[in-house]
Amino acid sequence: MNQSLNYLLRRLGFYFIAAWAALTLNFFIPRLMPGDPAAIIFARFRGKLKPEAINALRETFGLTDEPLLGQYWSYLKSILQGDLGISIAYFPEPVTNIISSALLWTIFLAGFSLIISFSLGTLLGTIIAWKRSGKLDSTLPPVLAFVGAFPYFWLAMVALYIFGFELSWFPLGHAYGDDVTPGFNMPFILSALYHAALPALTMILVSLGGWMLSMRNIMITTLGTDYISFAHAKGLSSRLIMLRYAARNAILPNFTGFGMALGFVLSGALLTEIIFSYPGQGYLLLQAVRAQDFPLMQGLFMTITFAVLAANWMVDIAVLFFDPRTRK
Amino acid sequence: MDNNQDSIFTRWIIGILRNRKAITGVVIIFLFIFLAALGPFITQDPTAFLSTPLSPPSWEHWLGTNGQGQDVLAQTISGARQTLLVGFTTGIMVVLIGALIGGISGYYSGRIDDFLSLLINVFLVMPGLPLMVILASWLPPGPATLTGVLVLTGWAWNARVIRSQMMTFRSRDFVSAAIVSGEHNIRIIVLEIMPRMLSLLASSFIGASIYAIGAQVGLEFLGLGDVSTVTWGTNLYWASNDMALLTGSWWNFVPTGLSIAIVSFALTLINFGIDEVTNPRLIAERVWREKIPIDTVVNGITPVVKDHE
Amino acid sequence: MVAFGLIVFNGCKNKENQNARRGLIIFQESQISWVRNFNPLSPAGAARWPTSAGIYEPLFIYNSMSGEYVPWLALDYKWDKGNKVLEMLIRDGVKWSDGEPFSAEDVAFTFNVKRKHRALDTRDSWGYLKEVIAMSDTIVKFEFKRIYVPGFDALATQSIVAKHIWDKIDDPVKYSNPNPVGTGPYTEIIRFDSQLWELGKNPNYWQKGKPHINKLIFPTYPSNEQVTLALLSGNLDWAGAFIPAVDRVFVSKDTEHHKYWFPLTGHTTFLHTNTQDPILSDVRVRKAISYAIDRELVVKVGMYNYTEPAHVSGVSGPMSKWHSPYLNQREDWTVYDPVKANMLLNDAGFNKDETGLRHTQDGHLLEFDIIIVSGWSDWIRSAQVVSQNLKNVGIKAKVKTYDFGAWISRMQKGEFELAIGWAEKGTTPYALYRGMMSSEYLQPIGETADVNWHRFSVASADSLFREYERTSDQNEITEIIYKLQHLFIEHAPSVPLFAEPSWAECNTKYFKNFPSAENPYATLSPNYAPENLFVLVNVQNR
Repeated sequence: MNQSLNYLLRRLGFYFIAAWAALTLNFFIPRLMPGDPAAIIFARFRGKLKPEAINALRETFGLTDEPLLGQYWSYLKSILQGDLGISIAYFPEPVTNIISSALLWTIFLAGFSLIISFSLGTLLGTIIAWKRSGKLDSTLPPVLAFVGAFPYFWLAMVALYIFGFELSWFPLGHAYGDDVTPGFNMPFILSALYHAALPALTMILVSLGGWMLSMRNIMITTLGTDYISFAHAKGLSSRLIMLRYAARNAILPNFTGFGMALGFVLSGALLTEIIFSYPGQGYLLLQAVRAQDFPLMQGLFMTITFAVLAANWMVDIAVLFFDPRTRK
Repeated sequence: MDNNQDSIFTRWIIGILRNRKAITGVVIIFLFIFLAALGPFITQDPTAFLSTPLSPPSWEHWLGTNGQGQDVLAQTISGARQTLLVGFTTGIMVVLIGALIGGISGYYSGRIDDFLSLLINVFLVMPGLPLMVILASWLPPGPATLTGVLVLTGWAWNARVIRSQMMTFRSRDFVSAAIVSGEHNIRIIVLEIMPRMLSLLASSFIGASIYAIGAQVGLEFLGLGDVSTVTWGTNLYWASNDMALLTGSWWNFVPTGLSIAIVSFALTLINFGIDEVTNPRLIAERVWREKIPIDTVVNGITPVVKDHE
Repeated sequence: MVAFGLIVFNGCKNKENQNARRGLIIFQESQISWVRNFNPLSPAGAARWPTSAGIYEPLFIYNSMSGEYVPWLALDYKWDKGNKVLEMLIRDGVKWSDGEPFSAEDVAFTFNVKRKHRALDTRDSWGYLKEVIAMSDTIVKFEFKRIYVPGFDALATQSIVAKHIWDKIDDPVKYSNPNPVGTGPYTEIIRFDSQLWELGKNPNYWQKGKPHINKLIFPTYPSNEQVTLALLSGNLDWAGAFIPAVDRVFVSKDTEHHKYWFPLTGHTTFLHTNTQDPILSDVRVRKAISYAIDRELVVKVGMYNYTEPAHVSGVSGPMSKWHSPYLNQREDWTVYDPVKANMLLNDAGFNKDETGLRHTQDGHLLEFDIIIVSGWSDWIRSAQVVSQNLKNVGIKAKVKTYDFGAWISRMQKGEFELAIGWAEKGTTPYALYRGMMSSEYLQPIGETADVNWHRFSVASADSLFREYERTSDQNEITEIIYKLQHLFIEHAPSVPLFAEPSWAECNTKYFKNFPSAENPYATLSPNYAPENLFVLVNVQNR
């Protein structure tokens, strides 16, 4: 037990270092980008601004001439206090407000798709590895691999066009319908699911092949091991062997991959959101970059990084829990 | 020692060449490369604003024209060039960097390993797409930027995989034997271990290339590439800007998408092939499955080949 | 499986409800999610459309179709004391949406709050204003510290805010004004979610019987594809979007109801030439570049024939009345004439080599980058045509795209050679020529210049600008403009490319009385505040 605690603490230490590195990177990159956000905003106006007005505006946005190191310390301090600053593009809205609603939708859509894709893919992979019936194994992996080879946004656009526009089976975008009010009510939840259906379907379709294939390959390796033959010899039912023994051990390596994918979910399924007009974090990031909105960019990058670290952390704990070998 | 290395390498290549999947994949890739290289000599000028925009396929333009009246076939073929170039270059660089850092980290344990693993893990945990978007929008658009951004965000994954493989090999007998007989570490890495890691390196290269092609096309679709060059990604960017689907001009959208899919799929096939060569069990069951009639495969009992390594 | 079926079924059922139109569905802002901000004074321009002209209103509205200022919250104006004083007569009987009366006090207050917080003074009115006083409930007096007649536009089109509300706001710069009180036709926020918000009628609006439509609905559309999809499927009633091949894409889906109107705005899109560049500083080179461009092809390929080649004066369409009658055809360097282009380049000493490309005397290739904002595909295509045109006369031009931030930074600092961009706009060409040739706005390379990116000036123009600013006499104004125009044509500080159209689409299935070519009571595009107020008060239910 002590050993695993040690292990977890070391991992935690690593995550702190990674977080610090990310934060530092996060701080410097926007500042290295050319273009002055104040100037960009002025460019939107027809008239010209006298120097005093520009400076007043700069102060409002906190674009001071303080030396870089000073800015860095204030940046770190405010992050620790949970103050992510005021957005420039959506002035004067605080960054935390803008990110929070977007964050929820991204988690909903991408998390939902990932869970289904992983479960379905793993299940299929297990079945295929077990039943060596020619049909499934020779058709499904290649077909799914081919579908997954298309650029994601290409499939999404075609799907949106055919199923949303031509056939009108699905809505053309947005996270929920215009006639429901957000909240914990059935119409809203159903509407949200309905609107997430097509984007989620496209995301699932593209990633399904990958999960299925890796599970299948690992299963095949596992099936060759001694304890499986032993189980057979003892006369255990094949269903039992498949699920309780083979799958359970095979799923572990796949699960680590899931952990990382979960983290990347919050990178925002950027392209999905653009194509389906889905109000998540990914598109927000693109807008922030375009508007040179430092605070928003940093806030988004930070949220995403922390989410990835948290997801990895949780996977570490889960692996430790499920895999008795690590509980040395 | 040299004989050993030679035969590992040759054996591996022969194994690959015998594999159905790998060969199919390789042939397709070479076909595309061939077409891309010949491109300028066999097609019309892809950038010339020739005819009526958005006209369907005809004898004059086999794949029709795009929103500016440019020949789609020419665009598709010449688009292959930069896309494949950036894709494979990224693949090679990722593998080189991965092998270097991952290999050193896996071979030398202790402080070097701790430091390099930390580096790898930090890069691994950085959100890739956001970083790519930020960097690509900041740097001047073009193939160099794309390659740089892709390599920066993609090297860590392969490094980690190579590192674990290296650690496995490190503890094997043949390595201990080599060390005991006084061989230099570098020699061991390069001459003993690397040849055995061929499958991993090759499939890393393929995997990285697939990733590079996909990510590149994605970035260019967002308009972050150099939109005045002709690449598969920019073709799709223009197609969507010109509302290709909504005007029913599928010929603007489909050929490039299909080409990307075919190339990625071909690369995946090669990877499948490599997998099978490395993991003979996968082939064995296929062989067994073909030889044994279906009805004798009862209750999921399968003949399985043992691993002798 | 069952759950999936239920979801689809529910979705289909809900769709039927949407057929009864609950309000006018509008697209003007491209956003992925809405942020609640209705501050019309906000310097960041972060307020939701139509805050500045819809919730709030200005004193006069310039109608680009008729070329006149239409009285709105003000009825009349008068210049006095040698154009050093401007008096405006304010409309009475107007109420704020909370029932309080509107008066000249509110007008004076609005301008004074901009004086107090300079960050709000986005048009730098206090650069020439001395005092703004409400002389009575209906008269406002503007005292100028220097004579500046063109300042009228900024004063007339200012959105007026309520003194009794804003008096109590400490920091109007950072205030997001979540529950606005305005004089405009629509002031009530019915609903505000991240992906949809609704704006309802002002119960106390001063134009009786108007507006006709009960509410405005704003869904989010983050990209042009989404807007187009919505337009095609009849889910949008009014939009200001660029649609390629609009007849085929949009109109064909419902020829009876899907309408568009892209009238010229009068302004011009330019190929800016950085006159500080040693080669481009030669006027012959600039004119040669202009002669080399096949504007018809640019318009056809880049702009889907939605517009026309630019006029050499830099204005066109509704501003064609400003074309000088003294214009000599031979001076017009915007016609397509590669022969002349070659001649001028040869004259200037740039000879062609064997490959057909030109060199300077000391052997440097004539090579330029044309920089464009990435994502502005119509301009990118136009630039590609220009690049090919220039190659034909021996100049190598490469198209480079940059993200908006990086692009505008380069333009403002003068770190570019060629670029496609807009120019200063105004109700007369004065603003355009001032931005093109005035030394007042000239900045060295590396310093940020908000206008005159191409960094050109000519002394004789400066005195003409001063004269213009001092007079309010129409005849004098016209003569000065002609003179400026001839200076512009002589010096070719930048190359006019094509006329700027406005983008507007509407769906007449549920609503009628949108402006159109047959009924041009205003421009249809929602992108030109405050002119969109005309549409908002006149559109009717079917």
